[in-house]
Amino acid sequence: MPDSAGARRPYLQPLSRSWWLKHSFFLRYMLREATVLPLLFFCGCLLAGLYSLAQGESQYQSWLAFMAQPWVIALNALLLLASFYHAKTFFELFPRVMPLLPAPLMIAGQWLGTIAVALLLLWLFGAIG
Amino acid sequence: MQVLTTDIIVVGGGGAGLRAAIAAAQIRPDARISLLSKVYPMRSHTVAAEGGAAAVTLAEDSLDAHFQDTVAGSDWLADQLVVEHFVKAAYQELVQLEHWGCPWSRKADGSIQVRRFGGMKTERTWFAADKTGFHILHTLFQTSLQYPAIQRLDEFFVLDLLVSEQQVLGVLALQLNSGELFQILAPKVILATGGAGRLFHYNTNGGIVTGDGMALAYRHGVALRDMEFVQYHPTGLPGSGILITEAARGEGGILLNKDGYRYLQDYGLGPETPLGQPKNKYMELGPRDKLSQAFWQQQQAGLTGDYQGHAVVYLDLRHLGAQKLAERLPFICELSRSYVNIDPVQQPIPIRPAVHYTMGGILTDLHGETSISGLYAIGECASVGLHGANRLGSNSLTELLVFGKAAGEHAAQSLPPTNNSQPTAANIQAQSRQQQLASLFGAKQQHSVASLRKAMTLAMEQGCGIYRDDAGMQQCRSTLLELQQQLAKLKVSDHSKVFNSELIQYLELSFGLDVALTICESALARKESRGAHQRLDPGMTQRNDQDFLQHTLAYRAADGSVALRYQPVRITSLPPAARVYGAAAKQGA
Amino acid sequence: MEKTIIIQRYNPEQDQAPSAERYQVPFDHSTSVLDALLYIQQQLDPTLAFRWSCRMAICGSCGVMVNKIPKLGCKTFLRDYPAELTISALDHFPIEKDLISDMAVFLDHLQAVKPYLINDSKNTEPHRQTPAQLKKYQKFSSCINCGLCYAACPQFGLNPEFLGPAAIVTAQRYNLDSRDQGKAQRMPQLNGKNGVWACTFVGFCADVCPKHLDPAAAVNQGKVASATDMLISIFKP
Repeated sequence: MPDSAGARRPYLQPLSRSWWLKHSFFLRYMLREATVLPLLFFCGCLLAGLYSLAQGESQYQSWLAFMAQPWVIALNALLLLASFYHAKTFFELFPRVMPLLPAPLMIAGQWLGTIAVALLLLWLFGAIG
Repeated sequence: MQVLTTDIIVVGGGGAGLRAAIAAAQIRPDARISLLSKVYPMRSHTVAAEGGAAAVTLAEDSLDAHFQDTVAGSDWLADQLVVEHFVKAAYQELVQLEHWGCPWSRKADGSIQVRRFGGMKTERTWFAADKTGFHILHTLFQTSLQYPAIQRLDEFFVLDLLVSEQQVLGVLALQLNSGELFQILAPKVILATGGAGRLFHYNTNGGIVTGDGMALAYRHGVALRDMEFVQYHPTGLPGSGILITEAARGEGGILLNKDGYRYLQDYGLGPETPLGQPKNKYMELGPRDKLSQAFWQQQQAGLTGDYQGHAVVYLDLRHLGAQKLAERLPFICELSRSYVNIDPVQQPIPIRPAVHYTMGGILTDLHGETSISGLYAIGECASVGLHGANRLGSNSLTELLVFGKAAGEHAAQSLPPTNNSQPTAANIQAQSRQQQLASLFGAKQQHSVASLRKAMTLAMEQGCGIYRDDAGMQQCRSTLLELQQQLAKLKVSDHSKVFNSELIQYLELSFGLDVALTICESALARKESRGAHQRLDPGMTQRNDQDFLQHTLAYRAADGSVALRYQPVRITSLPPAARVYGAAAKQGA
Repeated sequence: MEKTIIIQRYNPEQDQAPSAERYQVPFDHSTSVLDALLYIQQQLDPTLAFRWSCRMAICGSCGVMVNKIPKLGCKTFLRDYPAELTISALDHFPIEKDLISDMAVFLDHLQAVKPYLINDSKNTEPHRQTPAQLKKYQKFSSCINCGLCYAACPQFGLNPEFLGPAAIVTAQRYNLDSRDQGKAQRMPQLNGKNGVWACTFVGFCADVCPKHLDPAAAVNQGKVASATDMLISIFKP
């Protein structure tokens, strides 16, 4: 396309760093992405637990004591909520990426599957049954 | 100003223009084909066509039948040689589009599905849901992207043709995003600029359909043929005129007046067909001009309903059921819900006729060439001779393909071996136009382009509407002449170079008034009623083959007025007969 | 009844940056944003520049930001907004003038994915395609090229090299068409760093698409296709 310098002066507004604050849709997106942070904390806790188990009885006990602290419980409770939020958004997105069945069926199926696995694990480790 | 040299210029990036460009690129991949459009091609008004494209497809159909339907539909003003050529070429064009990826709707076995359409004896309309024009346009546009020979100049507005001694030299165009002028020189120019529906107040058209190409050719001495024939589509939404496809009636939709009566049976289209069992050429599947005229009659008799101050009748689709509506007419349902707040599943849609199509246009031969050597015209801006006094629905989309290809091929095949452009002659004209353009600018005044344009559209709606009479047309003519004078005195107060809307609208209005006058003068002179041109004057209410079985040719006289001549209609195999539908047609069939 | 329309005006020959101007516009229950813009241009200020044509949401010309959300002007109604609303040109595209953006990058990206049927069979009859086969890609073939999805996409806003929703939708449309044989030719663009993998499924494009064809789904289905393609190419020499 022939280009003449002349009167054209296109104006491009660069995207600001706070673009995600502009709309509730973007806020919810960032929240979804941010669920990885409490997850990282939880992974850190688990790794610390494994490590202290390898170190011996007293180390393991102090890890348990650490995990029983109110602020740790609070953070992990937040993580649980974050996981649910992440699961909810993931289960809704998945049928759009692989439309194998009608979306409501796939969403319900994923939740049922999650609950079933959770119950199975709880039973295996003696928490129930 | 910049000067570009190319081989073929296509003005207009709609269905016809794109088809011509592709045809030319296939024959001469080494050539430079410049496709100019005042909008991006996918905005061209082809995109809004809904119903379908006709071609003889079923075993029980025949070229003869399509030919006869078209000639009868034209009220015998069609050029029968052209129609013969058209019906023969139609099928392969639609197959070509299928090969290019057009998502035609299918039968269960995967073969092409065809549907009924107004005025057609047999089902032969190919369709892509209810967005056929959209899919055809996007298929053509996307296909064009694979031909490097086609170079697009998007958002370029053609101000004038450059012509010398009845030979086209190129065009003068304005680049909209910079305000820069370009001389584009080429031995072949194909006009594919669309119709002139925006000259009327209520129309189905997009804002760009302003008759530009017709005026360009007219100003250089090319005849505009059969301009008096303007099609009112029977079913447009009230107020906006937004199109509700004929396919709604093809699928079984019925038209009711305010008393819930299927009034079309009183206008030679009966007897009433059973609900859900539409019958070709009966009732709601009669031709468009007759349906629009029936509306006017009902309005005179006080039998039309009211929607926000507009007289309307009602398109009832409820009996189709939600599922069929969602499958066959999803776009219509969406339009109805968005723009008139009516759910067609629950309620009939209020509709009224709106100007939709200009049968007339730039006079061309079978290849699309005009009386100026190297200048072609195709699609709605042209009068190749297919539609005569009334166009059948679904013939137009096929027309774009058949004659787009014909013109593109002819232009490419007849390219001169050497570059014999005449830059000097072109430059003199271009410089003169540039000075004229500069003189358009000045201070703001009493009138605005918008107010003059509104006055034009109201005058045309009033004087050259569904039914016309001598007094009304005379009044229209004097209003148009007055508006031309006012426009000549008007100055464009926006002096910007980048996307100057006021300037473009000024130029479009200038083109439009020229075209409007040819419509009005042609209508005044045709002292009979035929097809879409219906007169109330005594002695002129019927078809008069004796005196008027001929085309109207409108030329620009030296003093700027419209001069009319006449041209006989080419009849080959179907001598003029009564144009009948419904039960009356059955007797003669 | 009147509403206040605030428009971000920009005249490149006079202004350094867009600035707001206010207009009073009469309206009724059917007045669209496009109707309001036409009223302003015809009655109040003929210098206002904006694109429009069909008025029925099929040509894709009239995309603008209405209160910072990408919308088609002809299908957005004043009745759904409070007493004041703000209109500006589509985000993430350079603004030429007023509400007109430069769409060149959109067309470049569209062209880059080879958006045409690739099939060299020399048939004289139509291909067979069942309604089920048609349904696979039909939704994606309805893109009106309005660009709202690009205005919605923060990844495109941060990186204009990202092919973007509509281009990838169109590539998918052809890849899923039973008559097409050109998938292999399109994959390099889609597999590349500015192809499907630049998308993080924000999904706002799907929210704003006026044809509800879920561009986010198309792009992310493209990721499955891309991953499959790359996996296969590891095993195929």
